[in-house]
Amino acid sequence: MKKNRWKIILIIISIAGALWYLYPTYKDIQYQKKLSELKGEDSLKFVQQNIDDIQKVKQKRIKLGLDLQGGMYVALEVDVVKMLDNLAKNKDETFRQILAEVKKEALVSEEPATSILLRKFQEKGIRLSRYYGDIRQSDAEIISELEKQAEDAVDRALEVIRNRVDKYGVAEPSIHKQGANRIIVELPGVKNREEVRQLLQSTAVLEFKLLKPVDVTIKVMQSIDNYLAGKGISDTTDTSQVALKSDTTKKDTIKTIASELGVDTATAGLDEFEKFKKEHPFFAYVRVDEQTGIGFVNARDRRIVEYILSRPDVKNLIPPDFEFVWSAKPFTAQDGNQYYNLLAVKKDPEITGKVITEARATIDPENNLPIVIMRMNSEGAREWARITGANINRHIAIILDGTAYSWPVVRTKIIGGSSQIEGLDSPEEARLLEIVLKAGALPAPLEIIEERTVGPSLGEDSIQKGLNAALLAFALITLFMIVYYSTSGIVANLALILNIGFILAVLAGFNATLTLPGIAGIILTIGVAVDANVLIYERIREELSVGRTLRSAIDEGYSKAFSAIFDSNITTFLTGLILYNFGAGPIQGFALTIMIGILANLFSAIFITKVLYDILAEKYQAVIKFG
Amino acid sequence: MRFIGKTNIKFIEKRKFWYAISAIVILAGLISLIFRGIPLGIDFLGGTEVIVRFEKPVSIGEVRNAMAQIGLAKSEIKTYGSRNEILIRTSEQAEGTKISEMISSTLISKFKDNKVEILNEEKVGPRIGAELRKKALYTVILSLIVMLVYIGLRFKPIYGLGAVVALFHDVLVTLGFCSIFSAVPYLNIEMNQTLLAALLTLVGLSVNDTVVVFDRIRENLKLHKAMDFIALVNKSINETLSRTIITSGTTIMVLIVLLVVGSEVTRGFAFALIIGMITGTYSSIYVASSIVVDFTLARQRKAEKEKLLKKQPIPAK
Repeated sequence: MKKNRWKIILIIISIAGALWYLYPTYKDIQYQKKLSELKGEDSLKFVQQNIDDIQKVKQKRIKLGLDLQGGMYVALEVDVVKMLDNLAKNKDETFRQILAEVKKEALVSEEPATSILLRKFQEKGIRLSRYYGDIRQSDAEIISELEKQAEDAVDRALEVIRNRVDKYGVAEPSIHKQGANRIIVELPGVKNREEVRQLLQSTAVLEFKLLKPVDVTIKVMQSIDNYLAGKGISDTTDTSQVALKSDTTKKDTIKTIASELGVDTATAGLDEFEKFKKEHPFFAYVRVDEQTGIGFVNARDRRIVEYILSRPDVKNLIPPDFEFVWSAKPFTAQDGNQYYNLLAVKKDPEITGKVITEARATIDPENNLPIVIMRMNSEGAREWARITGANINRHIAIILDGTAYSWPVVRTKIIGGSSQIEGLDSPEEARLLEIVLKAGALPAPLEIIEERTVGPSLGEDSIQKGLNAALLAFALITLFMIVYYSTSGIVANLALILNIGFILAVLAGFNATLTLPGIAGIILTIGVAVDANVLIYERIREELSVGRTLRSAIDEGYSKAFSAIFDSNITTFLTGLILYNFGAGPIQGFALTIMIGILANLFSAIFITKVLYDILAEKYQAVIKFG
Repeated sequence: MRFIGKTNIKFIEKRKFWYAISAIVILAGLISLIFRGIPLGIDFLGGTEVIVRFEKPVSIGEVRNAMAQIGLAKSEIKTYGSRNEILIRTSEQAEGTKISEMISSTLISKFKDNKVEILNEEKVGPRIGAELRKKALYTVILSLIVMLVYIGLRFKPIYGLGAVVALFHDVLVTLGFCSIFSAVPYLNIEMNQTLLAALLTLVGLSVNDTVVVFDRIRENLKLHKAMDFIALVNKSINETLSRTIITSGTTIMVLIVLLVVGSEVTRGFAFALIIGMITGTYSSIYVASSIVVDFTLARQRKAEKEKLLKKQPIPAK
């Protein structure tokens, strides 16, 4: 017992750890059950009350792959050939012919379309500058510029898609770049394929919209607040109470709001907050800067405010030329919370992004601060001069697909179409704005090159069948082990249960995804996991048959069987590793469960059972039987 | 309880006979692979695949007629899972997701009185398919090389070679069986990522039995230095026979459960692994061990010959 003390402590810690990681999954299933029972307002209220916990467990639970919960997997690729076509100037018959050849080859070849283009041109002895760039540029320069364009297009599309998917309201979407010009989008639980395709492929709309004057904005917000509080619309509220005094920076504003209301941190202020919420159901969530009319909404309250604003009766209170838009990214205030801005803008755009010819993030040479330079075509420049001239000192929001990325103040009338946007927090923010400003005109459309959609009913079916198979496999194996190895079978079964628990816990802990092949992997692990115990027990039987005592037979069995167990597990682990590097989503899920299963198996089937036998052999020798 | 007690089966002596059996099975599989092959799944083929569930059963013919009208007469159409579920697959490529849109809208308009639910929809571009095919081949070869190196290092190079020949044998036999049994619709066998996962898992698992036998040979070599090598290998196989059969047995048992009870998607996977596990158990004895015996004997003979040559007195001039 004593020599195993540390081992026992380690085992207890790992079991406790496994339970700790599995608990959110259990809790999330409970919440889902509860939510499916509630309806409409009730469920919203329930979510509102438990929002922190619901979100927390959701993030920490075992994720289900698209093949299990249904959803869409889409791989998009920049259509480089189309981009080459769009960007070329002085197109003639020769060019069209070459491009047609490039298109044909690019469809099956792994060679990038740009280098196919270059090769074709070189074969024909034509310089690229005839169609791209300017006459002084070499072929290599033009090609690298074209490649840059393609990559830019991907970054742009990535931002556009992220923004749209966020707004579409998909839970836990995964959007990432793969290689130089591919985007992988995974949208769990999405049902409407048509809508998603539209979402991913339609051209982005970039607009410049004027912010509404402060008094108008506050008046509209007040009427919403009054209406929600059950007061008459004409009822006037003391504005000083709700519209907070504006500070120089937004961060300070938030700090004062938070401390005045004691929203999140102080529990003492909670009752006061509840009282305030009853009287001002809207302003309790949306705080307004008195000078600019810009609202601040805590990130976790955003859904609630969205819901309020989407209610048809509330919509009636909003004037027809008036529109609320959200900021694209939340910012972290001094109180440590994330806040979104809620802007009230004029519905009709002043100008659209189509007139933008260039946007470039750079550094202001005078003060080394990040800025973005934006240029417009001549038609746009004329319009822009008129707009800026008429709205000096007002904010103009830059809105992409209905989300505001920046709302700079107009300083002077801008003539000539070249504007400079200042006051950006970081070079990253400047780069993002550059991407957004360029997104209006897409020279390189995206094409769906791979799409997999799993309907939710197939997913449910798969889970059910997988679960049934796992339970039956488990029952058969445990029964066999008990019949064949008697009490030692029970020890092996205990190890098996722990093994499965560890696999699931590790999946949850590492934020990995459980897929249908992953379930198959767990089922396979059930069959393979007992191998280690079989090897050990057979060895022990052998040692017993040559007349060893129980104690020494156990020790010998474990030590002699170890090398075979180790080698055979390592080989399987290695193939798992190779498979993981090969496969896509579902197959990676399989490889992962196999690998985790092997590690968990070495721990539970060898380490834990050995400690168990040590304890049993010392105190209850009579119980130990090997069949 | 005990299935197999002490045995003394002369495995190695009969190896020539089993070599022949293996060769025949592999040959049959190869013939099927060459003439029938294994139908490519959507991952490797590229194209569009739609699985739909009808409210009421429909005949394949009706669906085929509907497909013929939109110019997809050549597509593969079969039942999937239950009789109400139909899989339609075509290697036809078009821009974006046009084909699947065409298929689903045609089905919905053709079968107005029969509600159509789309279970699964996949489109794979031609380049993705080609990429995956290449990657899959590399992956299988890489896994075999890794096994060769690992077993070669842990035991002796000859053992690594024996294990890998056995693995190659298992993969070939499994592929052959998959090709032959791809005619059975229930099994859903096609060359896709899941089947590739089965092949790789098979490489990992089937080497397990081999390792157990090799491990015992290594141990016995230390204990019985003077023993004849064939007898020693035979003894090792007999000693480990019981555990070899039980460990493979438990794995095959869960795989049968997965095949019968599990989802349609993993059926082909389970089938391939069942064949692979059975072959793997057999080949650890009759292929891996036998090859090690043949190589070792050949080397011994060669060494003896050289010894004899050296011992020959140099003829005097």
